[in-house]
Amino acid sequence: MKQQLEGMLAAARTALAGADAEAALQDVRVRFLGRKGELTALMKEMGALPPEERPAMGALVNRVKEEIEASFAARLAALREEEIGRRLVAERIDVTLPGRIHGGGSKHPITLVREEIVEIFSSLGFGVEEGPEIEKDFYNFEALNMPKDHPARDMQDTFYISDEVVLRTHTSPVQIRTMLQHQPPVRVIAPGTVYRRDSDITHSPMFHQIEGFLVDHRVTFGDLKGVLTSFISQFFGQGVAVRFRPSFFPFTEPSAEVDIQCVICGGKGCRVCKNSGWLEILGSGMIDPEVFKSVGYDPEVYTGFAFGMGLERVAMLKYGVSDLRLFFENDHRFLRQF
Amino acid sequence: MIVTHRWLKEFVDFALTPDELSHRLTMAGLEVDTLHKIGEGLDDVVVARLLEVAPHPEADRLTLCRVDNGREEVQVVCGARNHKTGDLVALAQVGAVLPGDFKIKKSKIRGLESCGMLCSEKELGLAAESEGILILPPGLPLGQPVFAVLGLKDARYELGLTPNRPDCLSVVGVAREVSAMSGCQLRLPRPVVDEAGPDIASLAAVVIEEPELCPRYAARLICGVTIGPSPAWLVRRLEAVGMRSINNVVDVTNYVLMELGHPLHAFDFALLRGGRIVVRRSGEGEGFTTLDSQVRQLKSSDLTICDGVGAVALAGIMGGENSEIRPETRDILLESAYFNPAAIRRTSKRLGLHSESSHRFERGADIDMVPVALNRAAALILEVAGGTVARGVLDVYPQPLSRRHLTISTQRTHAILGIELSLARIGELLAAIGLDIIPPVGGHPDGLLTVAVPSFRPDLEREIDLIEEVARLHGYDQIVETLPVCRIVSQRLPQHQKLTTALRDAVVACGFAETINYSFVSPGLWDKLQLPAEDRRRKCVKVLNPLTEEQSVMRTMLAPSMLETLARNLAYRTRDLRLFELRPVFLPRAGEELPDEPLRLCLAICGRRTPEGWAQGNDAVDFFDLKGVLETLYRQFRADTITWQADAGEPYLHPGKSATLYSGGVRLGVVGEVHPRTLAAFAIDVPVYLAELELPRLNKHAGIRPLSRFPDAYRDSALLLDETVTAQQIFELFAKAGSKDAEDLVLFDLYRGPGVPEGKKSVALRVRYRSSEKTLTDEEINAAHGKLVQTLCKKLDATLR
Repeated sequence: MKQQLEGMLAAARTALAGADAEAALQDVRVRFLGRKGELTALMKEMGALPPEERPAMGALVNRVKEEIEASFAARLAALREEEIGRRLVAERIDVTLPGRIHGGGSKHPITLVREEIVEIFSSLGFGVEEGPEIEKDFYNFEALNMPKDHPARDMQDTFYISDEVVLRTHTSPVQIRTMLQHQPPVRVIAPGTVYRRDSDITHSPMFHQIEGFLVDHRVTFGDLKGVLTSFISQFFGQGVAVRFRPSFFPFTEPSAEVDIQCVICGGKGCRVCKNSGWLEILGSGMIDPEVFKSVGYDPEVYTGFAFGMGLERVAMLKYGVSDLRLFFENDHRFLRQF
Repeated sequence: MIVTHRWLKEFVDFALTPDELSHRLTMAGLEVDTLHKIGEGLDDVVVARLLEVAPHPEADRLTLCRVDNGREEVQVVCGARNHKTGDLVALAQVGAVLPGDFKIKKSKIRGLESCGMLCSEKELGLAAESEGILILPPGLPLGQPVFAVLGLKDARYELGLTPNRPDCLSVVGVAREVSAMSGCQLRLPRPVVDEAGPDIASLAAVVIEEPELCPRYAARLICGVTIGPSPAWLVRRLEAVGMRSINNVVDVTNYVLMELGHPLHAFDFALLRGGRIVVRRSGEGEGFTTLDSQVRQLKSSDLTICDGVGAVALAGIMGGENSEIRPETRDILLESAYFNPAAIRRTSKRLGLHSESSHRFERGADIDMVPVALNRAAALILEVAGGTVARGVLDVYPQPLSRRHLTISTQRTHAILGIELSLARIGELLAAIGLDIIPPVGGHPDGLLTVAVPSFRPDLEREIDLIEEVARLHGYDQIVETLPVCRIVSQRLPQHQKLTTALRDAVVACGFAETINYSFVSPGLWDKLQLPAEDRRRKCVKVLNPLTEEQSVMRTMLAPSMLETLARNLAYRTRDLRLFELRPVFLPRAGEELPDEPLRLCLAICGRRTPEGWAQGNDAVDFFDLKGVLETLYRQFRADTITWQADAGEPYLHPGKSATLYSGGVRLGVVGEVHPRTLAAFAIDVPVYLAELELPRLNKHAGIRPLSRFPDAYRDSALLLDETVTAQQIFELFAKAGSKDAEDLVLFDLYRGPGVPEGKKSVALRVRYRSSEKTLTDEEINAAHGKLVQTLCKKLDATLR
């Protein structure tokens, strides 16, 4: 019987090793360990053994059974592993095929630069104000120290709705509206759409500006330089040279035009910067005492600065857009690149 | 304003190179738009003699020239006709590079070799326009660079001046700035006039009837002049600063205009009736022909220069045809006056007539310059046109202006600029630009300085104007950057701005690209949309002075611009589009000066549902794609329950495939397929779905619904319904009549076809049941579902399939 058991173990091992599918493997298991299996049949014969031999033989039977079970489990695991391996090979895909796109929308580049600029000034504690695009002459001109018949009005060719109502030519009227509503300290930026009666390759009759102003006790021209230099280094990158040069706006004095080193040629001179190495990006200045008077601030008590920039200009520099008209043609091939 | 290096040097002896001066001018607020270096790099343009000029055998218009360049003979083909054998000419030799990056190469012109080019003044950058080639004066050494031997090397600065600096609209004015920045002395012209004629008072008279509009008018009389061409130096000077030579007398007035910045006018004295000048207002509606042969309709607010009978010039703007200098003119009356800036500006603007003269008068000329410019011009006319100057000047100046005195304080200067400057430094800076320091009378208070402002600086009116000059002259780059010390104020974004930003983000996340269209549109768009005549959206804000009819009204809706944008993209063969615009519209308000400017959201889709690809279907978008986007957005913004009412009632939307959206009884807008007629009007040949909506109200979160721990169960039913029954009716009945354990209802199939009678549809519903208290039994679920189906059948006249 011992020999029989040893033979059975060897036969079972051979059969398990030969089974190359899970079903065949199960068949082998049933053949040996099933209720009608060979080992079961042999165990039934144990009753015929003398009692003193039974424990040793019982132990042997158990060992054989365990070994068959173990071999079965090992073989089953191996077969499953092979099966997974085959499946993985069969299921291989071309991961370079394009995926299914969801979304794929885009913000307009003007929105993107506006959001970035707002975010930078928000971090400096500026709030955001808005104003109407169709504006009274008073807010757009008069209160900004530009009386009627003033030559400075020539700087901005104006669309008129009536004698007293215009399409705002800049976002500066928001300064007036804000200061009429709030007492200093005010620290505000005002993005918005503006209009000028000018249309050619470098001028669009509708464009966008962002205005900023800060009024409090003891605000100086040095502060103006500090805040704008800080903004420029955040927006255009550290190390971009900045220069402030005298200019004229009726609503600021002293006034400064702010140039940055040409981001296209690095200051060496190119077509974009007209070979000057500099790009004009901001108009700024200390708010004129006349403006303070028109909003009821005491110019002896408060000082402040204001600045404004064109978003199209900034976006052109930021994204290397060379044609202004692209911003308003809404060609999807352009829009989807943002 | 254009000035040249050499001309500036006549008045100030500075040692800056053109590049240095250009930079210094820009940094002093006189922005140099372009710097043009005349003659730079033109050493290969040399003096040459024409040895022979023969016709080109192959071309009538060309000549074949043999020229001697001092070293050898070369052959050059030339297209000009003003040259002859023996002339000295400017030869651009092979290798020369002319202005505009024009490289001279050896070439063949109509079969004959040409080694170089004979240049015109224009080609050499000496003049804006020129006829024929430049013929040089005789006696110049052959082979020498033309610019060097003629002393023509120069630099031209084109200044972009700000309107507050009329003083710099002249060479002398710019020289004054150069003097201030370089520390070199300014030398002003001190003209002396040889008055050999009789007393002017015996020959002419000047009367000012409107001293408010013309505070000063001065005249000189020059008799016996010979009108003719100007000498070369005068022509060249004028051309260098962008002016055309007319004749010697007119050129002198223009020369003085550019040099001193003061506009002058020369009348033919023989044409001044009564030999007198009367400065008065025009008669209302009077017609007057200006020098440019245009008839101008004048108003009584316009100031005219008249003779004894009628108008002979539009004061400060342009002379009249009736008194202009002619070739036969012998005696001239020379005008030098000062006019009220606002009056000149009003007339010039109304007539759309802008001249060098009006440009200066409307910005503010220098009243003290009146006699200086007059004398300078008289002396020059004697020099270039001969004649005799009558003795004396008719200078009518009833109320001489005194110079303005201003006081600047160191304390205020510091408060504005943030840097401390001493009183001495401030005084030094202001004196450099011609302001006179007024010595303190009886001891000056500390830190205060009083100055007298010269008449050429009308822009200096207040202390702040002086502070700006101090900052400008000291140098903006000398002002230290600081950061402001400010009080903290909470600056959260207002709710509507947050909503706008979040809404834009959400729409982009749904796959839409943002567009920005012009706010002004064509009034014809309303017809294209077939809006009825009485539609309120036809009442729009009109622009009085639009650039074109296409941009003449402010839009009251976004849809038409969107359709134009779609059409343009489709024309570029971009077929799958999801576009949006989030911008204001402009709605007039009764009794209000300014319109309402509410924000609108416009969405449009066309083409395939998903981008073309190997793994996607090829289905075209339909109404429910756009509706799904809106549902996503409204869900995200927790907008109030939205109801969809069939038919938007819009002439530009498909009546059967559109809806009006309401939120709590408020109309939000419309969505639907664009009407085939509208598509045709916009030349669009694919179906387009479009929505135009007001912004949703952002609601507070209502709090969450508790989650049940018990299992769910489903029941499906198919109902046979009349076509007219809407899904919304089913959802409403479910909400009203469903058991409290009915968690949700999904409409999972919609079928028409075999087995379903005409005019009916089969709708399959799946209802999920779940209690928050216990596990529901089959009986309980069946009872609840049976009751729901029964209600649906009864109320909707449906049968169970």
